[in-house]
Amino acid sequence: MQELYLISLCALVIFSILAILLKDLLKAALSLMAASVFLAVIFFFMKAYYAGVFEVSVVAGLITVLFVSTIGLTKGEADVFESKLPTIIFPLFFIWFIIIDILIMWVLLSKFPPLHKGIPETGSFGEVFWQKRTFDLVAQIGIIFAGVFSVLALFRKKDKNG
Amino acid sequence: MVSLFIIIPFVLAAVLPLIEKISKKFLPDLLTNLAMLFLLIYSMTFGYQIVVSNTGIRQLQWFNQQLNVVFALDGFSLFMLFAIYLLSFGVTLFSIDYMEHYGSKGIFYALFMIMVGGMSGLVLATDLFTIYVFLEVAAISSYGLVAYGLKHDELEASFKYLMLSAVATAFLLLGITLLFGLRGSLKLGDIADIVSSPNLKFATGICTGFFIFGFGLKAALVPFHSWLPDAHPSAPAPISAMLSGLLIKVSGVYALTRIFLNVFGLTPALSTVLMYLGVISILVGAITALGQGDIKRMLAYSSISQVGYIILGFGAGTSFAIMGALFHILNHALAKGLLFLNSGSVEHATGTRELDKMGGLAKRMPITAATTVVGSLSVAGVPPLNGFWSKLFIIIGLLQAKAYGFAFIAVLASIITLWYYIIIQRRAFFGKLKETLKDVKEVPFWMAVSTIFIALVCIIIGIGFWAVIPKWITPAANILELGIRYAKLYLRI
Amino acid sequence: MEFGILTKESGVILVNLIGDWYFNLLFCVILFFIGLYCLLSMRNLIKLLIGIEVIAKGITLALISASNARNCIFTGQSLVITFIVIEVCVVAVALAIIINIYRHTGSLDVKKLTKLKG
Repeated sequence: MQELYLISLCALVIFSILAILLKDLLKAALSLMAASVFLAVIFFFMKAYYAGVFEVSVVAGLITVLFVSTIGLTKGEADVFESKLPTIIFPLFFIWFIIIDILIMWVLLSKFPPLHKGIPETGSFGEVFWQKRTFDLVAQIGIIFAGVFSVLALFRKKDKNG
Repeated sequence: MVSLFIIIPFVLAAVLPLIEKISKKFLPDLLTNLAMLFLLIYSMTFGYQIVVSNTGIRQLQWFNQQLNVVFALDGFSLFMLFAIYLLSFGVTLFSIDYMEHYGSKGIFYALFMIMVGGMSGLVLATDLFTIYVFLEVAAISSYGLVAYGLKHDELEASFKYLMLSAVATAFLLLGITLLFGLRGSLKLGDIADIVSSPNLKFATGICTGFFIFGFGLKAALVPFHSWLPDAHPSAPAPISAMLSGLLIKVSGVYALTRIFLNVFGLTPALSTVLMYLGVISILVGAITALGQGDIKRMLAYSSISQVGYIILGFGAGTSFAIMGALFHILNHALAKGLLFLNSGSVEHATGTRELDKMGGLAKRMPITAATTVVGSLSVAGVPPLNGFWSKLFIIIGLLQAKAYGFAFIAVLASIITLWYYIIIQRRAFFGKLKETLKDVKEVPFWMAVSTIFIALVCIIIGIGFWAVIPKWITPAANILELGIRYAKLYLRI
Repeated sequence: MEFGILTKESGVILVNLIGDWYFNLLFCVILFFIGLYCLLSMRNLIKLLIGIEVIAKGITLALISASNARNCIFTGQSLVITFIVIEVCVVAVALAIIINIYRHTGSLDVKKLTKLKG
């Protein structure tokens, strides 16, 4: 089980790297979707089932559809010229960053106290979600309204001089 | 009920596009302005009752079939609500006539109400993650509002604003996750418990850094200010007034102050960092504003400078400094809102924003000229207008804290501020009337009414500050001075 | 130094990496770096948005692993679900702005967006 978990983490990182380095936008969006699927697998390993389902259906589904439709709508004659330099230099930066980061976190481990396991939660997920975090749900309604109205405002028909 | 502050904006925003289909001209304006007026009066009467009836600190819990929504309406929250609704009412009056340029007023008012609702929810929340979610509500609606005109400048500014804001909120969430992992709960009171334990000093330091980056970008502190001079001038004038007057203060300064003064506690190191950030913002904003040729860009840089004053006051931590900083939030919101609305009037009348193309407008637009004089003198800190008293309190507070260098720089920047506002007055309004501007007319009725209203409020608050301060500011200042004890006692449910 | 949840059984040290917070935090920081690198060096507007998506993945990983370590999965999942809703709305608004920019300038290059100098 541990090995599968480690493979999922590495696959997540590898697909994210592919998503930012690939030149073709469609392939980049599809590798982002693959990364989402592996992230959902990681969520399942940590017993976060609802979050895993949500991640697959929304991020790997809805956001990928949005990206692909935008890429389709903006295919132009003149493609953006990306210089090859960031792609070539990236492995260098990446390995340098990992080494420095592991060193820093090894040193900092002594300064962070160990997390003790808290009291396990009572009730089911539904009760915690609807009763303990109700204010967040009210705010989510606001988020959805804000997003919908912003998109409507950005795509509105201009009548006279708007 | 306190929940009306959040329910009314969201419900109204939901029905406004439908109402627009029924009656394009009359109903959306009327409903929005009535709702704003109602919320303003409601916060002044009912909210004030709640705050003073229980030694100034009161918490409400609303049970409805076992749903659990906790509002904390204390002095600081009520003060921010009062400032929000006062300026929003003026801005909605202004946009009755101004938004005819842009069309689709129903969607505009809906987005506006969502932004106001998001800001109200932010000040009423007691939970770190809830503060973050309402911050995003206000932010997403502001992305749409900045890009409302659909011209090239506005889209570019909105896109840059979106990118920088997304990175900042990512860092913010990283800090929230660290605190969540260390404590197990997200309530402000619970977190206040653990931040003083000695083996968590390093973790708290890292979280403080993340929060300064995240909230500092929303508050446009230097060096995180680069989105503001692009986003604020490109937005429509009412939205510039809202962003510069309210959004950078509610989502930036209010959240920063609530978390740093009430939950983390103002340690000497944190106080020094905040004071230095404030002073650098003051200087950079003031000096860069001198060289601008576009009215709204100059006002945007001036906003950076004035927010630096507010953070300097909060960082100093003495009683006069906190009182001055709170008062300056209200004063700057009103004055800067007034100045941005007037720049919108000038743009409506002359069609340009460049100072070179204007001149002598005072003969043709007397109301706009008079209110701009009131607003400029208020921001520059000239007695007896309201800006003078708040800056005076901040400087007295700095002298109390023995920070003489900072006080000197604050006074110096105040003189520079006065200088460039006089430059605007002379170049835009006084002097010879240019030939191209011979037949500009005064602004339409509602725009004039709203600017006169806000200018009158500035003058009244300036002359009557000795009545405003004990009623509105002292409860808020008391809460902030109580510091961590306040969060541990009250913000725990 | 504490690393992972070590249990010593019959002379063999086992490390439970799934429940370990610091190990997952390392991967979260790596994803953050990848996203920031994309934001700093890429020129296509949609690529910049993909960079923000990668950062958001890192944040969700950090949230879930923190709640897993503290044994309060349900709260963590609620936070993550709310954050995913926020992320979808931000991406939708950003894509709407990008489509409008494409209609105005005809290209998706961020170097063409230099009219305003900040």
